[in-house]
Amino acid sequence: MPIDRRKTAVFAGALTLRLLLLVLFPSLPDLLTGRVEVSTPVNSFKRLQEGLFLYTRNVSPYDGGVFHQAPLLLPIFALLPNAKDLPLPTAVFYSLIDLINANALITISESGQAIAGRFFSALRKDIKWDGVSVAAWFLFNPFTIATCLGRSTGVFTTTGILYALSNAVTGNSFNAMLSLGFASYLSIYPALLFIPLVLLCRDRRAQGAKQPAGIAVFALQHFALFSFSIAGLLGMSYLIVGDFSQFISATYGFQLLVPDLTPNVGLWWYFFIEMFDSFREFFLGVFWLHLAAYVGGLTVRIRRQPLFVITALLGIFAIFKPYPSISDASLYFSLLPLYRHLFPLMRYTFFAVSAILYATLLGPAFYHLWIYAGSGNANFFYAITLVWSLGLSILLSDTIFAVLRDEWEQDNPEMRGKEARQV
Amino acid sequence: MIVLLSFSLFLLVAFSTLTSATSDYHERLVLQPLPQSSLLASFNFRSNTSRDSFDERNYHHFPRALGQILQHTHTEELHLRFTTGRWDAESWGSRPWDGIKEGNTGVELWAWIDAANDEEAFARWLALTQSLSGLFCASMNFIDSTRTTRPVASFSLSGDHSASNNLHLLHGTLPGEVVCTENLTPFLKLLPCKGKAGVASLLDGHKLFDASWQSMSIDVRPICSQPDKCVVQIEQTVDIVLDIERSKRPRDNPIPRPVPNDQLTCDTTKQYHSDDTCYPLEKTADGGWSLNEIFGRTVSGVCPLGVSQSPEETICLRVPNERGVAISDGAVEIRQPDGFSRCYTLQPSSSFDLVMPEQEATTSIPLDEPVLRAERTIVGHGVERGGMRIIFDNPSNTGAADFIYFETLPWFLRPYIHTLQATITGRDGIRRQVPASQIIKETFYRPAIDRERGTQLELACSVPAASTVTLTYDFEKAILRYTEYPPDANRGFNVAPAVIKLGADEHPIYIRTTSLLLPLPTPDFSMPYNVIILTSTVIALAFGSIFNLLVRRFVSVEEAAVLNSQTLKGRLAGKVVLLRDRIKGKTSKVE
Repeated sequence: MPIDRRKTAVFAGALTLRLLLLVLFPSLPDLLTGRVEVSTPVNSFKRLQEGLFLYTRNVSPYDGGVFHQAPLLLPIFALLPNAKDLPLPTAVFYSLIDLINANALITISESGQAIAGRFFSALRKDIKWDGVSVAAWFLFNPFTIATCLGRSTGVFTTTGILYALSNAVTGNSFNAMLSLGFASYLSIYPALLFIPLVLLCRDRRAQGAKQPAGIAVFALQHFALFSFSIAGLLGMSYLIVGDFSQFISATYGFQLLVPDLTPNVGLWWYFFIEMFDSFREFFLGVFWLHLAAYVGGLTVRIRRQPLFVITALLGIFAIFKPYPSISDASLYFSLLPLYRHLFPLMRYTFFAVSAILYATLLGPAFYHLWIYAGSGNANFFYAITLVWSLGLSILLSDTIFAVLRDEWEQDNPEMRGKEARQV
Repeated sequence: MIVLLSFSLFLLVAFSTLTSATSDYHERLVLQPLPQSSLLASFNFRSNTSRDSFDERNYHHFPRALGQILQHTHTEELHLRFTTGRWDAESWGSRPWDGIKEGNTGVELWAWIDAANDEEAFARWLALTQSLSGLFCASMNFIDSTRTTRPVASFSLSGDHSASNNLHLLHGTLPGEVVCTENLTPFLKLLPCKGKAGVASLLDGHKLFDASWQSMSIDVRPICSQPDKCVVQIEQTVDIVLDIERSKRPRDNPIPRPVPNDQLTCDTTKQYHSDDTCYPLEKTADGGWSLNEIFGRTVSGVCPLGVSQSPEETICLRVPNERGVAISDGAVEIRQPDGFSRCYTLQPSSSFDLVMPEQEATTSIPLDEPVLRAERTIVGHGVERGGMRIIFDNPSNTGAADFIYFETLPWFLRPYIHTLQATITGRDGIRRQVPASQIIKETFYRPAIDRERGTQLELACSVPAASTVTLTYDFEKAILRYTEYPPDANRGFNVAPAVIKLGADEHPIYIRTTSLLLPLPTPDFSMPYNVIILTSTVIALAFGSIFNLLVRRFVSVEEAAVLNSQTLKGRLAGKVVLLRDRIKGKTSKVE
């Protein structure tokens, strides 16, 4: 089969590229692990190794300020050889995770849920990329490669989310909920995807021969599944760690309360460095409410395309979550090509792409000026994170505009290509 | 052959003879010239009060202010140190008192507190630090939970305690504290003679804090000769290393001036030597000095509490026997058999001065080689991360050095213990990487928790003979909230020195490294409003544009025009157009 050969070529190419980079530049993984754009306090590989070091010596890794990642990662990584002495197994492991993610992307793309669903069918169906192109776009994205070589544990959350989506679009809502439970267990925020994902599962089920149960019953069933999977994972963690409250506050408490203000590409760190102490809690609440507010709005307005709602939410998380890194952006970028048919409707592509490229290139430079050269101050890097967030949010609102315009044109076929206003 | 007693041993032996004396207050000053024209002056003051009268609040010579604090906070044993400067082990040899009377740069405090549990012990510890802070005019109230540790192996009880006590050891250190006159005054007030008489009358803040190195210590401990016959002992020491030349400068004219031409001793063998060029020779003679020149005053008699029974040898001098020394009338000189020290018994009411005339040096006092040299530095560049490098050098050619290495790190310095590595360098100069477990026998590690507690690391190490071991680990520097930075944020933060304990619990030797300066990344302190506004703007832009799209609906341009005309704004615009037309129509009529 020609498609399969292409897929093999892409996968083999991606794997070779990663291993080649590791062999040619042996210091590259450690360099990337140290970059604030790749590693945040909640997904840094160096912190994972410190946690692992303590865990293998029977010291609770959560009785300290360094390790804030999920306990299940510890026994998994305890099986791998020490990344310092033998970097290859870890690199191969991370590359395989990337390939698995790409495989899930192919499934999502080939299901066609992005183009035609239960309630809609895109007008520009002919403009689209096939699954292998989408996978190639993901695998050869420099952000993905940097995340993979930097060994950020964010890739496991990505796997959880992508598998939740791929199972949902193929109608396997049971596995979808388990995967989402896994992603939420690793890093809390994917739980916000629950509502659109349930809608996606139900729409997919309704397209089949058997009609699903009523929406309330369906949602409750899936919520039970979702809670069950999280409870199971937490139970396993309890067996690993022992002290339940300590690890909950060191992982989820840490992500919710944002005590570590290490710089990253997001908006929270500098805001909470400069925030007056008496308003800190208030603005924490506001920021989290702001993040959660999009779920309702998007789900209601774009009810017909729950997959797009999830894509848009992932874009919002990449901008507004407490410890974002470029791995979150790469997840969003990997889902965008599913909406290739919307690209002609977008208005500010050039501006958004320029802003993102500008931030990508100047970010490391300005960080260097602040931290190492001493010729710039924190505002340099902060300004770049503002541009990055602005670029991403322009791209995001532009895709939302394109989706709404596309839906409108479906409803009013005579208006296709004509100028429109929003009132 | 003369048996050479080490200076530290000399101090200890000198005092053990005093322990049997019946009087319960003793004081002593030991002077020892050191290389590079330095002078070590060790002051020691000690008094005992019987346990029973102490418990009945009858304090005798024990300072009442301190005694009440100790009783209120149930502190059974207290050790307090004020230290500035650096002991130069390369030139000065091993430390006075084997380092047991020395502290970390700044203030160091450790105490054994009797309490039922950890929480109660910590509450009492806080009360203790707050009270001592007031008593000594030091910032000890800043020893909070982030600066408090509970060392496991580095400190041991030096007093005799009843087994019924549930003692908790707490240790706190303030590396950034500037020790100065305001700490000396309350220190002297604890003495029975308040620094007005006896050797303490030499202690003057101007000279003391001008020293190359100085350390003040207070130790309170119970000592029992028999189970029911206990005393509470308070021992205060002041150790200073003075630069003789510097101390001799007159106070009204302290600026150093070049030596006049005719007083220069030149190396005439140099070929360029002439009337206007001189290669100065180092002085071979020991510089002359006197107590009056060095301390700016003389010893005003004896503290009368100490001499109730028999006169004591109050001032001792460690110089070779052939060195000529002139003393005030009335004082009695007693030479020690080792040939290197002599002591003086003072007249109770007349002042005492000691004059060392300038004299050609013949023999010098042998200095002890330190048993271990330790050095700790921060490596790396940039304010994001760095590394700690600790170098242990064992000078002995025969025995391995076994010791406990103890360090406390502030929470904003996050060490990665998995990166701990050891290299060993023999005398051949070849570096070899060895597994850390070969050097480190045992580890006690308590990681820091942000804003709650600091890191505590205790390592039981063994350094083989005639080799140098280097330990390194990486760390990351946290960025703080802007209110958590001090006003001089870019100066950096002080990291407390490491404490190294060698030897057995009965006669330990302590070595302390220097304190470190840790630069942290800083935000822009002028920006809180700007940052809040700018970040909020970006969020508002995203939120606004997305929800603007979500709540509006699409219409064609024509429809939009129609809809527009129905709104208030549209109608108003229509009215304006109508009015304009009417005015235009009018003017056209007139024409």
